[in-house]
Amino acid sequence: MNAIAFLLGLLVLAYLGSILVGGRAIRGFGLASGAEYLVLGFVLGPQVLSVVGRSLVETFQPVVLVGVSWLGLVLGVSYLRVGQRRVPVPHILLGIAMSVSVCACVSATVFFGASYFSPLPRIEVIAFAATAGSVCSETTRHSVRWVVERYGAKGPLADLAADTARASALFAALSLAVVNAWLPGAALPAFSVLGRVLVSLGLGVVLGFTAALLLGREFRRDESWGILLGTSLLGTGAAARLNLSPLSATFAMGLTLAIVSRHRVDIKAMVTPTEKPVLLPVVLLAGAYVNVKLPMPLLVLVATALIAKILARISCGSLLSLTSKPVSGVGLEFGGSMLSSGALGLAVALAFAVRHPGVVADTVLLLAAVSVLLGEWLGPAALRRALIRAGEIKPEGPPGEAQPTLPSQA
Amino acid sequence: MSGHGGPKKTIATRAIQAASLLVTFGVLYGVTRVAPELETHLGTVAAVGFLLLAGTLMSELLETIGLPHLSGYLLAGIIGGPHILHLVDHHTVEELSPVNTLALSLIALAGGAELRIDTLRSVARGLAWATLIQSTFVLVCVAGVFLAIAGYVPFTQGMSIKALLGVSLLWGVLAVSRSPSACMGILSQTRAKGPVATFSLAFIMLSDVVVVILLATMLMLARPLITSSGSISIEDFTVLGHEILSSVAVGVTLGLGLAVYLRLVGRQLLLVLLAIGFGLSDTFTYIHVDSLLAFLAAGFVVTNLSDQGPKLLHSIEQTGSVVFVVFFATAGAHLDIPLLRKLWPVAVALCASRALFTVVAGRISGRLAEDPAILKRWGWSSLVSQAGLALGLSVVIAKAFPSFGDGFRSLSIAAVAINEMIGPILFKFALDRAGETDRHEPEVRPSLTDLPPAH
Repeated sequence: MNAIAFLLGLLVLAYLGSILVGGRAIRGFGLASGAEYLVLGFVLGPQVLSVVGRSLVETFQPVVLVGVSWLGLVLGVSYLRVGQRRVPVPHILLGIAMSVSVCACVSATVFFGASYFSPLPRIEVIAFAATAGSVCSETTRHSVRWVVERYGAKGPLADLAADTARASALFAALSLAVVNAWLPGAALPAFSVLGRVLVSLGLGVVLGFTAALLLGREFRRDESWGILLGTSLLGTGAAARLNLSPLSATFAMGLTLAIVSRHRVDIKAMVTPTEKPVLLPVVLLAGAYVNVKLPMPLLVLVATALIAKILARISCGSLLSLTSKPVSGVGLEFGGSMLSSGALGLAVALAFAVRHPGVVADTVLLLAAVSVLLGEWLGPAALRRALIRAGEIKPEGPPGEAQPTLPSQA
Repeated sequence: MSGHGGPKKTIATRAIQAASLLVTFGVLYGVTRVAPELETHLGTVAAVGFLLLAGTLMSELLETIGLPHLSGYLLAGIIGGPHILHLVDHHTVEELSPVNTLALSLIALAGGAELRIDTLRSVARGLAWATLIQSTFVLVCVAGVFLAIAGYVPFTQGMSIKALLGVSLLWGVLAVSRSPSACMGILSQTRAKGPVATFSLAFIMLSDVVVVILLATMLMLARPLITSSGSISIEDFTVLGHEILSSVAVGVTLGLGLAVYLRLVGRQLLLVLLAIGFGLSDTFTYIHVDSLLAFLAAGFVVTNLSDQGPKLLHSIEQTGSVVFVVFFATAGAHLDIPLLRKLWPVAVALCASRALFTVVAGRISGRLAEDPAILKRWGWSSLVSQAGLALGLSVVIAKAFPSFGDGFRSLSIAAVAINEMIGPILFKFALDRAGETDRHEPEVRPSLTDLPPAH
């Protein structure tokens, strides 16, 4: 397949994504995480049908980079709000704490497993452990939104699930900034790792402030697109050129806009509908990047990391049920519901693969892909069960008889 | 490209824009100095962001002294380009060619959609005279000037008078090529309406077809003059005829398809335009269809055979607000400043004579066609700009005559650089003086914070 045909295919997919966002009638159509497009990418990719060859996949690396960074921006812009509701600070802190816990468990497991059972050099083991933890620390907010909208759920548990899922993005974006700054090959050798992390995030903050100032007075959509695209592409390209994390830079930029811009709601309304059209091609490309032909010890480590993730999530849910009223009695299910993984996990893995290609990147990407599939299988079902038990959705309501949709969770 | 006018911007706004422009330059300057060796796709991403942001801000700042936005985009590209600050390197400029393809297809589509049959009818007489006079008088006169100063042109040294005549005719063809992109860029920014705007658009779009025919004719005539073995072949015209007919046919089909889509679906036009711009342009090249002509015909069909023209134009304007900035800023980065420095005396002489003969031809054709006074006075103003089309023609000529092709192309680049910088300024000045630019304030989008929650 040539590049133009593939590009047209991606545009068709983006078109489909935009219809999925825009069409009220088919909202909730498809899987929560978009895992079907991941599988489609894998099937079309070099591992199975080779319709999309490896060189073609590599040609589209800038598309991946830009797509991943744009997702970072969207996540940053929408970080502090679910629909029209502000996310409470305790929920943000809880989401971050859960992400840190899961990341610590998975990283520790992978670190010890890789140190003892794989021939990887020390530096690769550390990179593997850190990125695996980062990938597993995220919960996709689409999964929560999907369940909530499909079953018409409403209540404190649904809100908590939505808020903590959204809050989990911060840690993944930050940890990727640390990994990229720490890996060899980063520019600014005179700076410490912390200095390079601050440069990644500072770049995003400066560009976020610049965009906020430029959009400051009157808000004209045509001009705003130019400014938002310009600043995000500049941030992406600059961070990538310095071998730092573009995703973290654009996330910081989005978050800065969400905090300082007086037009934060307009900006969110502008960029949120672009998420799905960008997401589907990125997920498809991620599928095409996945390589399953890895040494057995690494495949075992992927399985181990997933088990660690499940245990960590369930433990977090159980602990939370002791302290949080909405989670009381449904800790196991709530923990399970947080297993849903999606765009950000894949984006982190893809960004790592672009920055540090090799067998470790392939393993992390495989982990992210399997994590998405596993989360798709377990997450929405667990959340539904938790919401039923919490009395926030009716147990007998089949999907076809869903309640009218709630205000958008986007 | 953002619209002209709008609420009067305060000094504070301008200061913010200037500071942001400095930040934009500063960020990329710092990055390129810290990591200078990169020639990969990653540099392209940063360059697109830089050109978009710097172009937008520069255009806003130059607006204060009455210059068109297009000059701002070009200037941002020139300053950031490979010859001054080297923030965008040659490799990156080449990598951005898909953006040019997309922009040109959008420009042609919009150009066609702006041409209404009834409007064309109203300027038909003037158009016919202008096409005839501008295409013959300017061609012959500029060719004459080229012949006269050939002694100062580096690549013509040692040529026989016959060969010089052939090269002069080819330069004459280059002189009658215009810039649809610059015309559309200025019209899009100023939202100008009136006889000068209508005439300019119609003339420039039509001249695209005329120049293609003229080039084929002059290549046929110049070959026996320049090379001893060359002969006149009618075969070139047959091929050209087929290409023009097939381009129109394909364009009409595309236009009908677009009109149906706009009527029945009418959504996600950004993605549809991207697919058309990227996908069809390459397909057209592959099947030897002139994409500019095909897109022009498509836009024309949408406007004149359906009621979907305004919707199409609105979508192109939205998409173009980003694409055109990058396109013109890239064109600025592409300008070969060292070459211009080397060839400027000859290039300036040729550009000045071209501008002069264009004005004279405009006056003559205006008088013959009995155009309104405003058209007689300013009808020529859009015809000075040159850009991608002229450079494309120079590539064709350089390929046809490799013995002097490189020199010819270098001089073309230098001349186009001058016309590219001066032309848009002249056109905007003329539109302002003719009172055709829109001075109404564009709508400011209401803030969503006042709206009820979305359901």
